Amino acid sequence: MNHLFKTRLNAATFVLIPACIGINYLGKLFASVLKLPLWLDSIGTCIGGVLGGPVIGAVCGAANNLIFGFTTGDSITLVYALTSLGIGAAVGIMARLGHMEKLTGAILTAVAAGLTAVVISTPLNVIFWGGATGNVWGDLLFGWSQSAGLPVFLGSFLDELVVDVPDKLITVLIVFAIMKGLPKKLTSLYDVNDEVEILD
Amino acid sequence: MKSISLYVDKDSYLTRLHPFAKMVYILAAISVPLIGGALWMYGLFLAISLILLISGGILKKVFPLIAFSFTILITIFLIHGLFNNENETILFRVGALTFYREGLLYAYRIGLNILNMLLAFAVFVLTTRPADLVDDLEQMGFSPRFGYMITSVFQIIPQMMGTMNTILDAQRSRGMETEGSLFTRAKAFIPLISPVVSSSLINTRERAIALEVRGFGSKNKKTFLREHRLSGGDKGFMILMALLIAASAVWRIVYGIH
Repeated sequence: MNHLFKTRLNAATFVLIPACIGINYLGKLFASVLKLPLWLDSIGTCIGGVLGGPVIGAVCGAANNLIFGFTTGDSITLVYALTSLGIGAAVGIMARLGHMEKLTGAILTAVAAGLTAVVISTPLNVIFWGGATGNVWGDLLFGWSQSAGLPVFLGSFLDELVVDVPDKLITVLIVFAIMKGLPKKLTSLYDVNDEVEILD
Repeated sequence: MKSISLYVDKDSYLTRLHPFAKMVYILAAISVPLIGGALWMYGLFLAISLILLISGGILKKVFPLIAFSFTILITIFLIHGLFNNENETILFRVGALTFYREGLLYAYRIGLNILNMLLAFAVFVLTTRPADLVDDLEQMGFSPRFGYMITSVFQIIPQMMGTMNTILDAQRSRGMETEGSLFTRAKAFIPLISPVVSSSLINTRERAIALEVRGFGSKNKKTFLREHRLSGGDKGFMILMALLIAASAVWRIVYGIH
């Protein structure tokens, strides 16, 4: 618990963050090339959270959306900087608590990240887009909930829930698989619990 | 290598305007209609953005941006026009679908907000080189470490795209199917993404060492090759935008919400 928010700010972390942002971009690109009905745009943020801890995860998430918002003109992403920040922090905290060691823990992490995303995104959806999310399946559900007379907020919550939780589940499982395959000499760069011994 | 930035390399008064002045413009374009609360204010800023874009000769580049959000705009109009909870007055019918006035008005306001944000951001995005923006931020006292972080995103992404295309070709030549049913496409995702992710993570180690060797962690004050200060015109523009925001607050107090 002591090391939950402990963060290293060395060259390695400042290189990790752009790499994670690049990975986010690729995930989104692959998802659109393969026409998958998911976003998969937070793989990098989750990796940042797992390797660097909650603070780096949060920075990855927020920087990701801010950078893309200000350079690719996609002001839609900009609005969700808060959501990404939440996802990165949630995954980071869960990883520091040791949940990313086993598959069941990874699923738990995914649920935590998904719920964080839903809770933060829903008010943003309602304020900026009147409840829609731009995802076909989610918006069909939203349309149905509105025709059934449910309040906008609840409809949007459901809309976000059916898209975000499966999305984060797949994202975190991919991250889990990739993490298992990374060499120790890389992961040790980001380990906060190791001690440096000096030979003098 | 293709850049991900949308910056159009064209010398105009917009590209010469200081990035901060353009940021203040975005702030004004978003906050004035929100504070003022009147629909015509969206129209005003839409018109200003369009005039800026036309006079900068970059209007053509805006259309792909708008097309991108077009589907979500249509979804919003359909859902609220058909099913909004406050729907009472029937406006028109298309076949079996009935559109209502209240929902369409609500969707209209949201649509205007989205378009307004898109165009205001387009003015900034199309006329600001990311490297210049980072440079200016650092000159204002922004941490150079974070500055490096931002610039390196623009170097890393084209590299990763290159790797991604190589991997896509390699996997296809091994007979992996990347087209077909949803399940086939979903199955293709992991063998495609994991080599790129692992290799780019492994590359970070070498990058980190290279940076440390070149004094990345140095605490000395950095100097700049090109000093970029706010000119008189930039300051005047920013003051004008601040006045518009103040005026919208006065408008709200005097006229209330419409």
